[in-house]
Amino acid sequence: MERLTLHVNGRTHDILVNAHETLAAALREKIGLSGVKIGCEQGSCGACTVLTDGKPVLGCISPALRFHDARITTIEGLADNGELHALQAKFVEKGAIQCGFCTPGMVLTALDFVSRNPHPTVPEIKEALSGNLCRCTGYKKIVEAVAEYAAGAPAQTPPAAGAAGTPRPYIEAGKKARGGAEYTDDLQVRNALYCKFLRSTHPHAHIEQIDTSEALRLPGVRCVATGAELPIRFGVLPISQDETAMAIEKARYAGEIVAAVAADTEAEAAEACRLIRVRYRPIRAFLEIEDSLGDAGDSEKIHDHVRFNNNVHKKAELRFGNQQEGLRNADETVRMDFEFAGVNHGFTEPHAAVAWWDENGLTIHTATQVPHYLHRALAKVLEVPLGRVRVVKPYVGGGFGGKSDPFPHEIIIAHLARKTGRPVRARLTREEVFLTNHGRHPTKMSVAMGVSRDGILQALDADIAIDGGAYGSFGVVTSYYNGVLLQAPYKLDNFGFRTFRVYTNKPQSGAMRGHGAVNSRFAVESLIDELARRIDMDPCELRLKNFLGANTLTVGQYRITSNGSREALLRVMEQSDWKKRRGKLPPGRGLGVACGFFISGSALPIIWNEQPQSVVHLKLDFDGRVLITSGASDIGQGSDTMLAIVVAETLGIDIEKVFVLAADTLLTPVDLGSYSSRVTFMAGNAARDAAEKLRQEICSAIARRAGLPETELYIEAGRVCSHDKSVDFDWREAAEILTAGRGAVSVSGKYISPKLGGDFKGAGAGLSPSYSFGACVAEVQVDPETGQVDVLRVWGAHDCGKALNPLAVEGQLEGSWHMGIGQAMSEQMRYYKGLLLDNNFLDYKIPTTLDTPDIQTNIIESGDPEGPFGAKECGEGALHPVIPAIANAVYDAAGIRITRLPISAEEVLTQIKMKNTLEKHQTAETL
Amino acid sequence: MNNAHTYFRPDSVGQAVRLAAERAPDFRFIAGGTDAMVNRFQGTDAGSCLIDLTGIAEMKQIRLSADRLQIGALVTLDELERASAVRTEAPLLVEAARAVATPVIRRTATLAGNLLCENRCIFYNQSEWWREAVGYCLKCNGDICIATGGKGGCFSKFVSDLAVALISLGASVRLADKNGEHAVALEDLYTGDGVQPRRLDPTAVLHTVEVPRGRGFRSAFRKLRRRKSLEFSSLTSAVTTDRHGGIRIALGGVDPRPILVTGTAGDDPRELIAKTVKKARIIDNDTYPRLYRKEMIGVFLRQSFDELG
Repeated sequence: MERLTLHVNGRTHDILVNAHETLAAALREKIGLSGVKIGCEQGSCGACTVLTDGKPVLGCISPALRFHDARITTIEGLADNGELHALQAKFVEKGAIQCGFCTPGMVLTALDFVSRNPHPTVPEIKEALSGNLCRCTGYKKIVEAVAEYAAGAPAQTPPAAGAAGTPRPYIEAGKKARGGAEYTDDLQVRNALYCKFLRSTHPHAHIEQIDTSEALRLPGVRCVATGAELPIRFGVLPISQDETAMAIEKARYAGEIVAAVAADTEAEAAEACRLIRVRYRPIRAFLEIEDSLGDAGDSEKIHDHVRFNNNVHKKAELRFGNQQEGLRNADETVRMDFEFAGVNHGFTEPHAAVAWWDENGLTIHTATQVPHYLHRALAKVLEVPLGRVRVVKPYVGGGFGGKSDPFPHEIIIAHLARKTGRPVRARLTREEVFLTNHGRHPTKMSVAMGVSRDGILQALDADIAIDGGAYGSFGVVTSYYNGVLLQAPYKLDNFGFRTFRVYTNKPQSGAMRGHGAVNSRFAVESLIDELARRIDMDPCELRLKNFLGANTLTVGQYRITSNGSREALLRVMEQSDWKKRRGKLPPGRGLGVACGFFISGSALPIIWNEQPQSVVHLKLDFDGRVLITSGASDIGQGSDTMLAIVVAETLGIDIEKVFVLAADTLLTPVDLGSYSSRVTFMAGNAARDAAEKLRQEICSAIARRAGLPETELYIEAGRVCSHDKSVDFDWREAAEILTAGRGAVSVSGKYISPKLGGDFKGAGAGLSPSYSFGACVAEVQVDPETGQVDVLRVWGAHDCGKALNPLAVEGQLEGSWHMGIGQAMSEQMRYYKGLLLDNNFLDYKIPTTLDTPDIQTNIIESGDPEGPFGAKECGEGALHPVIPAIANAVYDAAGIRITRLPISAEEVLTQIKMKNTLEKHQTAETL
Repeated sequence: MNNAHTYFRPDSVGQAVRLAAERAPDFRFIAGGTDAMVNRFQGTDAGSCLIDLTGIAEMKQIRLSADRLQIGALVTLDELERASAVRTEAPLLVEAARAVATPVIRRTATLAGNLLCENRCIFYNQSEWWREAVGYCLKCNGDICIATGGKGGCFSKFVSDLAVALISLGASVRLADKNGEHAVALEDLYTGDGVQPRRLDPTAVLHTVEVPRGRGFRSAFRKLRRRKSLEFSSLTSAVTTDRHGGIRIALGGVDPRPILVTGTAGDDPRELIAKTVKKARIIDNDTYPRLYRKEMIGVFLRQSFDELG
């Protein structure tokens, strides 16, 4: 160990570090400044940026000893006696903070940049921030915050009153801005052991022997666990309990956990993993969809439980009307084949968890979107009563579906904590996060559609195969969603699909933002673009002609209530000057359009039971404070703030009087989790229900005291009044009256979906109490010499019913569009012999600020009849239209159809050349 | 394990060379460390001793002499972009520097670090676990090239964008090692062997880069990459002409070493381009396929010649 002196945030620290320790590790582990975030370990994400002698450096790739005697500023050092630095305040005010994990690095990078360039242009700001990845915001609000800070714009404080519909920062944004929000790996747990995992080096292999003896002899090693100790299977869906915490007998993908070590230090645990000897007997690996669809022959299948001699996990098929007849009767039909690479959520905070056992049983703090399902999985695998498991979700650095399954590492550390009697913690490297995956399924599909000459869609028939990887995850749902989520936003009478989900020997696929329908939506919107061209109709016109209206049923009996499709499309048409510009841009420049829709929460719970889908408790105490407790998981999407808004709005009080305690399964009632865009609708409705009850309690207590009928009372601006003004209490007085002789008053609200849907098998898939709708126009430039595609602008509009918090809704939309642009343009998970190549943030290409075009954001408010104050989904659906809009713009620009994602320059160039050759031949023939 | 780790931060070139001679061969010089520290994280660079050069003030100067621009090897890429002498004398270097990595990395990454950046390959720049799983390749003491399936050699790609620019400008470098002081043409530093891409005494410190001046250089620069930031090169080209009719074409990202083709104003550009393309030993070890990168050499060079008129 070496001595190191650092002057950090105005205080001198003398610490001991390993000679090669990184600055980020020293600041986090030795000085406790956990605002220094580690997102990639390789200098690619920028989250670990700190200022050293005024200059930004990446802490994760800088040797600590270099900075002996240096002045260091971390995010914790910016605020002055609690008062946010003006730049931090701008980040808060502009909604530039969602999950908050990239915020420290982003703020420090921006601070240095503006100090060197006090009057920057927007392109200069984007350039300066192009080494800091954000997965939540689409950068728009970050760039705005920096621009306003540089311009010296005075800070604006959001009003406390006027809750629903008022743009406001997240309630925890200030804490995130100052680096004080503790994510799982930031939690200090005394006496904890560190866990590391040994992962299979083979995609499909029998495990013949595991020798842990040498590992166990290493000083510091406390426990080594292998698969046989945790034989009970789990999975997020009751019908796909096909995974064990560690591989038993055989490994099904390269990267699957085979053994785990708990040791005094992380380095010792890692070293011990290297000392474990595993003898594998590799068997044939199934790596492609085609391999798994076909007969396995003499080869061993991936799972025994698969019904036939192949690796098909699920076949989902539904048919309405007659697709063949519809296609026959159509004037124009098109069939196209598509291929989509797998993509990953790319949340910035790697998975992390810490677990221990005490008088309450098991407690685990973990970066999860679904404490409830993890709760159930832990109880099942560890064989403890449900009531002895406590799952706590700290601040979470993004999820996007990637933290919505129970994960092996969570179960393993709980197991090791029980075996060792000590807390055990784990944090995954970025590579391990990619290997854990659960991202969007690699997909192949063939889709046919027909249209009449006057532009009425006649039929849609989709044949889909999705690559599920080694285990089930949400795959059965994904299989259905690929098909069923095509039955809107257009009216279709002849509609059918068939999806095969196959197991392959790769990290498993699962749910990712826009779950299940992103790729098939791409196909349909591309086909519609082509059909419009064939019948010589403006593709917007064709869409407008076929939209389903409000208050209608789809062919598969989805109940559509509010529907803002038309308004969304008209808005982006107008903003992009569609009518005047489309088809009339200079060569290489093009405009494209697409639409989409999405569920606002699944109407059916994953595990069928009669519990409400969400329960919210409110407690009003003598001091007037309203405590919301809810199982809903804020993962950066702003659900805590949403709950506060709904309760404040319903009660007619300032948001400052409302406090949120969420996502702790010991303390908070069940909410099923942050998936399927359900939280605003379901937890929001439960919160509203609870707040109505509390309002009732207050009014009846005061009515009793005042001898007035309850109907004479109302609550407004934090006062409880009667119409005749004989009663006029402030909130605190009202609380005292209610709690007199009774103490704190608790009420419970709930949300249960209405009964929906048809009575055929598969009717439940995609049922939702409400649906969101949206549209995008994209403008691109295609270079005919290199095939490079540049997305220049995106205009997006999304019907979220009602924006409870417009700042948050914009953030969700911009983040969705940014993520869609990534899938369209650069993101993919490539494998070599079952080994994931793109397993870091250099090779897995999330768009930087410079790759993210100007985005014009439009919120459409159709006012949902059942949503809380009219609100519905806004966190996922917006992603759907942006990808096909870009591809359709490429067609407009270069006359070529994109049928493979991501769009690659090499393929665009090949297609342009083929087209040119074809045209030359055609010209020659005509001559 | 970790306890054996040592770290030194000499404050002169001489001291660095002496330390290196004492420690050789088990040590690694680092400058900014933005390449080396990542490689250490991934386990492709595992020496127990780090000699950190960033404390050597004499390597941080930029000077103009009558016939050359002298740039200290520890000048960061950010400083390079901003230095007025560089902006006026060799704007190509500004363009090349701005194409490297990200702005925050360029605050730390140095000129020499870029010139001596390790060659890259999608099958090599992976974690220890990954390389064990795939079976170690030639570049990590294995016996087969994963990318080609052959045993004949390693074709990891050379990725320094600054080297490409500097070579097109005819730059040379000054080195100090245990045998004394040397100057070599930059292109001569590189071997073309993907496993040992640089021809350097183990104790050598590259301390100064020298760019000729007053030759009427005009340059065109291109870099192929998926994103506009945060990317190593898939193909970098620099074409420089001088007032005497000399042409120097340099490429990176398409061979284990930088490609250099020289010509004169009288040459047919098409022939020069064809000659350059032919020299590149491109294999499928990059995010872009081999044939596309090969095709883009022609496109980039044609565009560059058009740009230079």
